[in-house]
Amino acid sequence: MGRWQEIDHTADLALHIWADDLPDLFITTARGTFALVADLAQVRPERAVAVTLDALDAEMLLVDWLNELLYQNEVNGLVFTEFSFESLSPTHLQATVYGGPAPERLGYVKAATFHNLVVQQTPQGYETEIVLDT
Amino acid sequence: MVEKNQFEQLSDYVWELPPHYDARMRVPARIYGNEQIFDMAFRDKSVEQLVNVAMLPGIVRYAMAMPDMHQGYGFPIGGVAAFRYSDGIVSPGGVGYDINCGVRMLASAMDYEDIEPYLEELIATLFKVCPSGVGEDGSVRLSDKELDDVLERGTEWAISKGYATRADAERTESYGRIAGARADVVPKRAKERGRPQMGSLGSGNHFLEIDVVDEIYNADVATAFGLRPGQVVVQIHCGSRGLGHEVCEQAIRALQDAPRRYGITIPDRELVAAPVQSAEGQEYMAGMAAAANYAFANRQVLAHFVRQAFDRVLASKVTDRDLHQVYDVAHNIAKVEEHAVDGKPMKVVVHRKGATRSFPPGHPDLPAVYREVGQPVLVPGSMGTASYVLVGTADGFGETFGSTCHGAGRTMSRNAAIRATRGEQVRADLNRQGIVVRTGSLRGLAEEAPMAYKEVDQVVESVAGAGLAGKVARVHPVAVIKG
Repeated sequence: MGRWQEIDHTADLALHIWADDLPDLFITTARGTFALVADLAQVRPERAVAVTLDALDAEMLLVDWLNELLYQNEVNGLVFTEFSFESLSPTHLQATVYGGPAPERLGYVKAATFHNLVVQQTPQGYETEIVLDT
Repeated sequence: MVEKNQFEQLSDYVWELPPHYDARMRVPARIYGNEQIFDMAFRDKSVEQLVNVAMLPGIVRYAMAMPDMHQGYGFPIGGVAAFRYSDGIVSPGGVGYDINCGVRMLASAMDYEDIEPYLEELIATLFKVCPSGVGEDGSVRLSDKELDDVLERGTEWAISKGYATRADAERTESYGRIAGARADVVPKRAKERGRPQMGSLGSGNHFLEIDVVDEIYNADVATAFGLRPGQVVVQIHCGSRGLGHEVCEQAIRALQDAPRRYGITIPDRELVAAPVQSAEGQEYMAGMAAAANYAFANRQVLAHFVRQAFDRVLASKVTDRDLHQVYDVAHNIAKVEEHAVDGKPMKVVVHRKGATRSFPPGHPDLPAVYREVGQPVLVPGSMGTASYVLVGTADGFGETFGSTCHGAGRTMSRNAAIRATRGEQVRADLNRQGIVVRTGSLRGLAEEAPMAYKEVDQVVESVAGAGLAGKVARVHPVAVIKG
């Protein structure tokens, strides 16, 4: 089970992510991001959205993934809390994500960035640090 | 890790890191600011980010950071860099996500005493007509064709719809319309995000503020800008909303492969770049210009709503309710400009990431009304502190490609600000100073607490001391809407 930690950033936000495997990395990064937006315990994942993405590498796929979810958040007001992967490789992702509206907004995240982004494989699984534009 | 002592002090306000610090640097890296501001630069990663900029192909003169510099992603905020148009690059990360985030100032014929009894009502009305918050919609409905018109014509579109006057357009950077904008290269998703958001502030550090002029430093220039002591003015700070974000996101994504294809070495993937004259470079420039035009139109529509709100609240109470535009500046943008490099005229792409254009007296791009005195530069301070109106100088034009600071600049992270104070406390403190505050997010108020920013006075003293801009006037806030 992955975990995240917020890293101080002067103007924006950054997350350090530790994950057991690739799906865990994508789930933990999404949860960490949406935990900045809303209290996840207050969200009922009543709506399902299908997501299919192709990218050049794992870093791009991770950025695409967050930006897709943040787009859904901006346009449809959905906060995502549950994730199911039909397929996932470093360059391809097919998933169904579940979310709902949050009763209260805690903060704003506008985009995921590539700034110094490296997805690292470690003996324990995966690790990365991602800067989010607020 | 760059150390302070690796920089050379060139004057009281200029510090330079020679290119031999890292073999990949093509030019020196310069920081503008007094000693205290220079010291602050080493608290976060902004100096490393500035060094990265100095490595980009085609960069001329030096990579620069203004005194409001702080850590961003890709370029530091406060970063300025010019690249040769002939063989240099353009980098979407050097403009950022909120393309043409900028500031507009409107000046009134009113004094504070004229509006004081109605301040609460004014700010409540403004809060209603100028929606704030991420993803928040505006009240202007645009068809597909109208949105394309906004993207390609900016303020000209606003004039055609009755949101702007010709004088507003004249008093807007690039007349509120960046040439070469193409609606057809703006991604569909960007248009979906932008269509409902026209006429909205957004979130983060965006704001709408009523201020009073409390100090004039240069009477002649202030008069030319239509500013006088005691006068009520309005500032609007916002940008291209979700549309600009999507244009930037998709450009950075599309260019991830460009360095390999063009043989460009970049130190950070957020700084992906393409030769400015390549098909990808030109497409980004056209999309960025379209997003910039959207931002000019957005601030124009908000200015129109502000004028309507003043009219509605002050009708039969104040006779002259006119709010004339002082200026509108962009502070996240890349522009093709001509500058002298090594004594010869050169076409360059100037990236200003959290930096403001500041053109000098006599520059042909300035409107007739300001050509003799120079371009107004709007430098908002943190919430509750002063903001400044500056003017472009010939020295600044020669040194920084006509660029100066864009604000106070953060010094504390949002989390640190939240740990240090609470939104209720910030509001109470501002109220005690006689400042009325409206916000949709108390947490946002804490994040933007004045303590999280550098002192704008020091930032402005630094740009004035370095000769990058001249001080004209200072204003202090009496009412704030926080996005």
